[in-house]
Amino acid sequence: MNPVIALLAAEDPNVTHHWLLPETGEIIYGGLASVIVVGALVKFAGPMIKKGFAARTERIQKELDDAANAKVKATSDASAIRSALGDIASERSRILAEADAQAATVLSEGRARIAKEVADLEAKADADLAAAQGRSNDELRAEISLLAAKATPIVIAKTLTDQTKNELVESFIANVGAAR
Amino acid sequence: MSSAKVEAYARALVEIAQAEGGLDRVEDELFRMARAFESNDQLRATLSDTTIPSERRQQVVEQLLGGKASATTIQLVGLIVAAGQVRDLPAIIDVVVREASQGKSQSLAEVRSAVALSDDQQKRLAAALTKATGKPVNLKVVVDPSVLGGLVATVGDEVIDDTVRTRLDQLKSLI
Repeated sequence: MNPVIALLAAEDPNVTHHWLLPETGEIIYGGLASVIVVGALVKFAGPMIKKGFAARTERIQKELDDAANAKVKATSDASAIRSALGDIASERSRILAEADAQAATVLSEGRARIAKEVADLEAKADADLAAAQGRSNDELRAEISLLAAKATPIVIAKTLTDQTKNELVESFIANVGAAR
Repeated sequence: MSSAKVEAYARALVEIAQAEGGLDRVEDELFRMARAFESNDQLRATLSDTTIPSERRQQVVEQLLGGKASATTIQLVGLIVAAGQVRDLPAIIDVVVREASQGKSQSLAEVRSAVALSDDQQKRLAAALTKATGKPVNLKVVVDPSVLGGLVATVGDEVIDDTVRTRLDQLKSLI
């Protein structure tokens, strides 16, 4: 009989020597196999795992850096926005102030212009009134003069009697004879 | 009409009047006729109207002056009318009066008055004007109501004006 077979035949494979611990051979074979597997893992999978961790670390670091940059940028933007808001408020105040100043200037100029126009119109009206009054007075005076000029000879002709006319003749003769 | 023609007609009238005798009366009547002609538009229009025959116009003259002027005066005016020189009648007569005055060594004194002057007033006025101008005057009085009162005397270039009309005009210019 073959010794190996004999060995195998000598022991029941379903019966262990200890209830907890494996058989010595299993420990040896198992230990060797474990060493081989671990060694293989360390040899072949270790670099890959390291590389994976490094990449992950790098990615995380990058994400952290990006987050930091984003935070910085956000802070800067917020500052810029706050500044812009301040500028907008300032600009708004400046524009409002400028608009108020322009409105006040326009109002002042408008009032001055209207006052000047009113004064000019009043002056022109006064001048027109005075001119019209002067014309009326002149026309009235001329009309009175004309009427007087027309009426006077008629009145005098009716007033002068023959006696008065003779007295005027005598006066002429006396004056001419005496004066020369 | 030219002044030469006026002078020629005037000399002719003077010579006729002298030949007929009574130049003084004729020139006085002619002077009155000339003033009436100037002041009467209807008379002037009638005597100047060439559509009326000259005989008819001469009849008008005779009717107008008949009994008021000498026959010589009527004939002389009729002569001017017949000659068609009526428009220049005043100018011709003025020359006649001037020459008559010069013939008597007098200056023509034309006086306008609102009323007719009496003979006494005319004599005193002539004397006063003679004294004033220094030479004898041939006084011609024209009754002109437009002077209103007083007298205006024209002796040559000299005018002595003391009429109410002139005083009114002066007053009017002042107004």
